[in-house]
Amino acid sequence: MNENRRQILEMLSAGQISADEAERLIAALEKGQPASTPADGSESRPKTNAKYLRVLVDSEENGKDHGPVKVNVRVPMQLLRAGVKLAGLIPAQARDHVNDAFHKHGMQFDLNQIKPENLEELIEQLNDLTVDVDAADVDRNGSKVKVKVFCE
Amino acid sequence: MIPLLAKVGVSNQSGFGFRIWIPLFLVWLLLLPIAVLLLPVILVVWLVGQLNPFRALAVGWEILSSLRRTHVEVENHNTSVLIHIV
Repeated sequence: MNENRRQILEMLSAGQISADEAERLIAALEKGQPASTPADGSESRPKTNAKYLRVLVDSEENGKDHGPVKVNVRVPMQLLRAGVKLAGLIPAQARDHVNDAFHKHGMQFDLNQIKPENLEELIEQLNDLTVDVDAADVDRNGSKVKVKVFCE
Repeated sequence: MIPLLAKVGVSNQSGFGFRIWIPLFLVWLLLLPIAVLLLPVILVVWLVGQLNPFRALAVGWEILSSLRRTHVEVENHNTSVLIHIV
């Protein structure tokens, strides 16, 4: 059993995802993997066409006024594309103001650089994205936080 | 295609909770008269601003269309909220 499949099954057993979601994830996993991997591993993995960006947060806070927090968000990639087009509608002057504000707050980000052709490249890269954060705050009520960001 | 249905659910620890399907196609129909009322505003934006209203409408439509299959589920110790757009 590979690592990704094991993670999905663990998420299912922990109740973070439903059986349907687990099935979809495993199907997406199988689609993204070649039927047989060559011994030398030279063949690159075929690119999956991710349709959704998923964010899963599972926090187990043990304080008096706290409890477990779960977040499960699925955003269609198409919405990201449309959002970039929306950014393209912002008038140049307004974009300059926004860029200035970004720079003031220490973010080296230029709205003018967001173009649909760049976005396709970004989404292609997102296909391989998996952010897995597993943090335990032992000093503060022994809270545990798990964050997963991935594409499916 | 724009979303036609949305499932919205809220529940809390005290027992209050609901989960309803909202027929968005009816909401769009109800909003149509407002869109007609907004036409003069769009015209002003076109004449005064640097914004191409047709492009803005196209992007707005695209955003609306791409909302389908969006799923948001947030749950804490006493409240849970679910929004699923179909």
